[in-house]
Amino acid sequence: MLSPVKIWRNQNKIKSILNKKGEIISYTRIHVPPAGFESQAPYVVAVAQLDDGKRIIAQLVDFNESDLMIGRKIITVLRRTKDPGLEGIIPYGIKFKPVT
Amino acid sequence: MKVTVLAGATTKFGELWDFSPRVLAQQVTAQVLKESGLAKNKIEAVFVGNMLSSSLGNQDHLGAFFSEELGMNVPAVKIEAACASGGMAVHLAALSVISGQYKKVLVLGIEKMTDYKPEMVNSALMGASSDAERETGATFAALYALIARAHMEKYRTTEKEMAQVAVKNHYHASLNSHAQYTVPLTLEAVLKSSVVASPLKIFDCSPISDGAAALILSSEKNTGSDIYIAASAPSTDTLGISQRDDLTSLKSAKIASRLAFSQAGVGPADIDVAEVHDCFTIAEIIAMEDIGFFEKGAAARAIYEKKTWLNIGRPVVNTSGGLKAAGHPVGATGVKQVVEIYKQLKGIAGKKQVKSSRIGLTHNVGGTGATCVIHILKKN
Repeated sequence: MLSPVKIWRNQNKIKSILNKKGEIISYTRIHVPPAGFESQAPYVVAVAQLDDGKRIIAQLVDFNESDLMIGRKIITVLRRTKDPGLEGIIPYGIKFKPVT
Repeated sequence: MKVTVLAGATTKFGELWDFSPRVLAQQVTAQVLKESGLAKNKIEAVFVGNMLSSSLGNQDHLGAFFSEELGMNVPAVKIEAACASGGMAVHLAALSVISGQYKKVLVLGIEKMTDYKPEMVNSALMGASSDAERETGATFAALYALIARAHMEKYRTTEKEMAQVAVKNHYHASLNSHAQYTVPLTLEAVLKSSVVASPLKIFDCSPISDGAAALILSSEKNTGSDIYIAASAPSTDTLGISQRDDLTSLKSAKIASRLAFSQAGVGPADIDVAEVHDCFTIAEIIAMEDIGFFEKGAAARAIYEKKTWLNIGRPVVNTSGGLKAAGHPVGATGVKQVVEIYKQLKGIAGKKQVKSSRIGLTHNVGGTGATCVIHILKKN
């Protein structure tokens, strides 16, 4: 369940992986979403290896079809991840954006 | 290790709207009690493998739920390891009789999924992955799609080769009256089916299913059964795929397989028949490599060339139809796999019988490989 306390705790993790460069090591376009993501479908999820060696998973945003390739350089950005729950706190998280 | 299997049974798997979990449990338990000739009061403990009773059905305390339903006032507990719940239930049941604390125990793998909308089920299944993965809106199809694309990139595995896994398993399932899908699939039909999470199409994916499977295990001598569990080996790996050393392999499966072969004193070449966790077609390809049946990068072509088909290859893989065609009621699958191998070794597998099979293996995976449980069964 979406909890304001959990959202608040997770914000601390975001700072250390924000604005980091890396490259795509795999990606997929999701056509059949889970509950809560119906309005976003279809969307792309990718695993990227950051330059510091860390690997993370996130949605890919602000991209063209030609950006969908293994090895494409990306940067981590801050984006809204879900609609707010009943308490109205908006969850933010990391997504990937191709770098030009 | 020598844990005797006294009986094994499954219900039909599928969309079983007429049957509640209580009814499924009664059906399958009656079958194993009848086969073993045991009175109900001889069962000393119940190990329930299930994942979604809480998130979908609001029912915790599942051990007590089923011990009441079955009329057995004995120790009973739910074991959860995502899609490896069934395998883990078998493991803990086996340990319980080896310990000497219990003499005869019941393993019940059971899942009810089709009462709910697919979006809700897909969301509940993501309880098996990490917070980070849930936050992206990923589904299990998406996570295995990421694995598939990495495997295709590294080993030139093709969509056609992945599709052939589905064709094989549907062919085997056409010989299994308990399978969810008994109609064979063509390669063309798989390749033409709609994309769920690229590159995986709907026919690359196992379905949402209801079903139950049961086993009675004992460590006693002279039980009259000549089929026993010679190895029961779980292992774990990271919850999320991005933390894995290698996206194209499940480390937990490699470790558990090595442990199991060591426990049973056999190797991959000794296995006549196997049930592996083909939640998605790519998962069977990777399973064959992780267990050691084929070299890394060689399994896709080998399966395409029918090296694991009934009456053609060896080991014969997924005679039940696997998860893909027999269905995947999550908590039941790991138990059903052991039931299938038990029936193969006992010679009662019917039209899908692998002749003269003496040693079998099961491979049950939780999530994208965060848990793997390997069992090896032998015929005396």
